[in-house]
Order: sequence, then C-alpha cells, then structure tokens
Amino acid sequence: MTLLVLPLAVVWLGAALLALLDGRRRFVGWAAVAVLGANVAGLAALGARVTEDGRQELVTGNWPRGVGITLAADELGIIFAVLSSAVLLVALLYEVLAGVRSRTFPSLVLFMAAGLTGLFLTGDLFNFFVFFELSMIPAYVLSVYGDQARRKIGAAFIFAVVNLLGSFIFLISVAGTYHVTGTLEMRDAAERLADAEPASVMLIAVGVFVAFGVKLGLFPFHFWLPPIYVGATPAVAAILSGALANIGAYGLLRFGAALLPAELELGARALVVIGSVSILYGAMQALSRRDVREVLAYSSIGQAGYILVALAVGGRVGFFAAVVYAVVNSANKALLFLTAGLRGWLVGAAFVVGAFSVAGVPPSAGFFGKVAIFQAGVAEESIALLVLLFVGGALSFVYMFQIYQHAFWRPEASAGGREPSPAVLRGLTLGLAGVVVAFGIWPEPLLALSGGAADLLAGDAGESAP
Amino acid sequence: MILLFSGVVAVLFGTGAFLMLKADLFRVVVGMVMISNAAILALIGSGLSRGAAPIHPLPDDRLSDPLVQAMALTAIVIGFAVTALLLAIAYRVYTSHESVDLDELSREEVRRERELEREEISP
Repeated sequence: MTLLVLPLAVVWLGAALLALLDGRRRFVGWAAVAVLGANVAGLAALGARVTEDGRQELVTGNWPRGVGITLAADELGIIFAVLSSAVLLVALLYEVLAGVRSRTFPSLVLFMAAGLTGLFLTGDLFNFFVFFELSMIPAYVLSVYGDQARRKIGAAFIFAVVNLLGSFIFLISVAGTYHVTGTLEMRDAAERLADAEPASVMLIAVGVFVAFGVKLGLFPFHFWLPPIYVGATPAVAAILSGALANIGAYGLLRFGAALLPAELELGARALVVIGSVSILYGAMQALSRRDVREVLAYSSIGQAGYILVALAVGGRVGFFAAVVYAVVNSANKALLFLTAGLRGWLVGAAFVVGAFSVAGVPPSAGFFGKVAIFQAGVAEESIALLVLLFVGGALSFVYMFQIYQHAFWRPEASAGGREPSPAVLRGLTLGLAGVVVAFGIWPEPLLALSGGAADLLAGDAGESAP
Repeated sequence: MILLFSGVVAVLFGTGAFLMLKADLFRVVVGMVMISNAAILALIGSGLSRGAAPIHPLPDDRLSDPLVQAMALTAIVIGFAVTALLLAIAYRVYTSHESVDLDELSREEVRRERELEREEISP
C-alpha cells in the first residue's frame, strides 16, 4: 500500500526542496534526475504489483471508504503514469546533459511529475482537478523556457488562458457530477451516473469532452498548440507532447469509457467525425509545412484524432487501440522532438526510427499502434473509416519522410555551419530510439498491459470482450 | 436558491467569456477570474443544503454539506494562484512588447515572420 503513496511523495518533496536551489548548478540537476528516477522505479514496481494482484486502492488517513480521499492504481492509470514519468525523466536528462538554462527548470519538471503521478493514481474526482492544475501550471511556465522568451510570451499567454478555461469547464463538470451523484469517488460516481437523469449527465459529458479535447489538441480546440510546440525548446516540446498530452488521452478514456459509457455511445458518431476531421486537418497542415517542429506539432493534432476515433469505436477493441496508440504516440513524439534539435552522426538514424514509428512501419512500436487502430476499424465494419485510417497513415508517411529529407538530406542542412551536438545527447536519443524499436520487436508487455486496461474499461462499459 | 445560483453562475460565465474575447490582455485576465469564480459558485451550488455546521453531528441533526466548502476553498486558492501567474505573464508581455493589445502583438509577429522570410530568401 505504501507503494501507492511513495512515488508521489518522493517526487513532490523533491520538487519542493529543489525549488529552493539554483537549478543551473549541476548537482541540482542530477538530484532532480535521481528523484525522478526513484519515482519511475516506484511506479514500475507498483505496475508489477497491479498486473499480478489487480487494482490497488488506498483511502488516505485510514478513513472508511467513501469518507476519505482514495488513491487507486489500475492498469489504465499505471500505464500512463509510468509512461509520463519516463518521458519526463528522459527530457530532464536531456536538458541536464545539455545544460539547464533557468534556475527553476528541474523543480518545475518535478512538480509536473508530481501532478501527473497524482492525476493518474487518484480515485477522486476533485483531486483529479487539483492534480490537473498542479501539472498544468509548470507547463505554462515551461512554455517560455529557453532563449528568446520575448518571442514566446504571447503564445504562452494564449496557451495558459485557453487551458485554464478548459480546466474550469472541467471543474464545473465535477460540480455537476457531485450534484447529480452526491459522491466524488470515481467508481461510486460511475455507478450512480448510470441511473441519473440523462440530460444533465450529457451536459457533464460535453464539459469533460471539451476540457480534455483542449488538452489533447483535437481539431476545433487545437489553435493554441502549434505556436507553443514550435517555440518551445526540444526538451520542453517533448515534455508537452510526450507527457502532458497524456492527460487528454487518459481523461477521455477514464471519463468517457469508465464514467460515462452511455454518453460515449450516444455521442460516438460525433466523436468519429471530430476525430476524422482532426486526422485529415493535422495531416494536411503537416504536409504543407517545412519546419520540423511545425510538422510535428500538426502531426500531434492528427494523432490525437486517431485516439478519439478509437475511443468512439468503443468496446474492448476500440479501448485497446486507444491505449496502445496513445502510449506509442507519446513515445514517438518525445523521441522526434528531442532529435529535431540535434545535428551530427547517427541523429538521422534516431529520427528515422521515430518517423517510421509515426508512419507505422515495422519493426517500430508504431506498427502495433496502427494495427490496433485498423482492428478497431474492422470491428466497426465501416469502409469509410478504414479508408480514412489508410489515407491518414499514408499521409503521415509522406510528411514524415518529407521532413526527414528536408532536415537531414539537404547539404546545407547537414553542413549548414552547425556543429555536431554533444555525443551524450545523441546517445540519449539513440537509446530512446532503441526503446521504440524494442517495443516494436517485443511488444508483449505493452500489449498485455493495454489489454488489461481495455478489459477494465470494456467491463465498466458493460460489454463483453468481442 | 439553486435557481438563483445557476443564474448568477450563468451571468458570471457569460461576462467572463465576453471579456476573454477582447484584445486587451488585462480584460482577458479579468474574464478568466470571472469564469473561475463562476466555477467556484457552481461547486457551492452543487451541494447546497440548509443546516447546522457538522462539527459534532448528532444522528437526528440537519447538517449542511461540508464537502462543498472544502472544495470551494481549494478551488479559490487554485484560482488565486493561477490569476497571479496570468498577471505575471501579462506584465512580462507589457514590459517586453510595450503593449497589452493582442491584435498589435500578432501584427508584430507577422511583421517579424516576413522579415525572417526575406532574410532566408536573400541572405
């Protein structure tokens, strides 16, 4: 049971302590890496426990269940928790190796890790909101990290305002849930929401969808995203797209599939349409850009569309595809954003692994993401959906290859006066690329854990596995 | 009472949304504050009940719901912190661009993009 509290407590205390020290000094950076490493190790141990014994639950302060705040870890939460903390660890390591440029950077990353760990491990609706804010506020600050803060500050303001609006809409939905069900415990709320009056629950569902749609950067809510991703330093862009965007995917899965299954089914068609528009819009915009980070930013919008489409297909197949795709996508994006800033020998190789993974070429992990999505499309028995998925995949192959060519094959790009980046950074990205390939060659752990999460959600939705 | 609350929440949210669409950064911040307060009022309204304070409840007492108070307090603190952060960002925008008008900022950005493009074409 202490395993549930420990990863959160370690990283939270570490963040508070390191906030007092100057993050530009080397030992502070390495201390932050150590704390975050402990967090990842704790979460991995918790993950092993969850896969063996099933759901772990802890009511804080030894209160009876229903009175105290619950912390809970199940397959869905733990897979996103481990993933997000691992991406944060890699990005922090990258920045520490490259040289931290602001005194607050290490502690902000740790605060975000605390927020994300809590968010994925909480079983309480209001605490979800609190952790949500705790992980968003460092993101607002990190978005202006690095040189040329003056140019980024306008985009950062819009980013903060739009996401805060999303957070408060989510808070209103939490208030609505409490009003309708009289509880904040997620599982109790899920049971009582099923019997509640449909019209008011639909309003709650729409609020939740808007909140997480903003976070994930889905099509009508995406406008804040490209300027932020383009302006951010590689490490921050990797953090935002690889760790923070997981909130959106996890929130849609947790609230859509576990808490509001009836509303998800009712709105499935609308979600498929929004997701499809997102896929096509992201791919088209990415195709027309030349700057690597701009292409990646628009590609994120498109990839978010896949997750939404898979969620809308629903059932075990759909939820499975959504989880696998979200995991693979965040690993890809972290790898690509980190690699995009580097130059030198073997960087192109790391980038091409990420690019192929986005396009879904074996033996990269992206292949299994695409396979899962296609399975969902086949289960839906819709030709239009399959065509859309195929076109989206083909377009992503084209634009990823295009920027690879543009960034690494042009003579002036490879020899354009920029010296090769430090070998440790290149080694780090190459290691990350190795992980992406390893998950493509030996995907069983990922698929088993995602399968567990999908079983859980499909069970909550009251459907039998197909 | 709940009707009154929902009316106030609606007016606050509407006013906040209207202000957020303005070009002036500080109006946007004020709009954000109003929306956060609308959310807090919605929280209080969600568990509105008349009764005694639940300090030492007896079985047949009528109690008011303490949970919404706790949630509202937490949300107020978060809203306050976030407002401070937004104001800090807005102030940074003001000191670096000497303007708090979003339209002007985007015009400047377009101008800079054009200059960059021109430099790229003819180095």
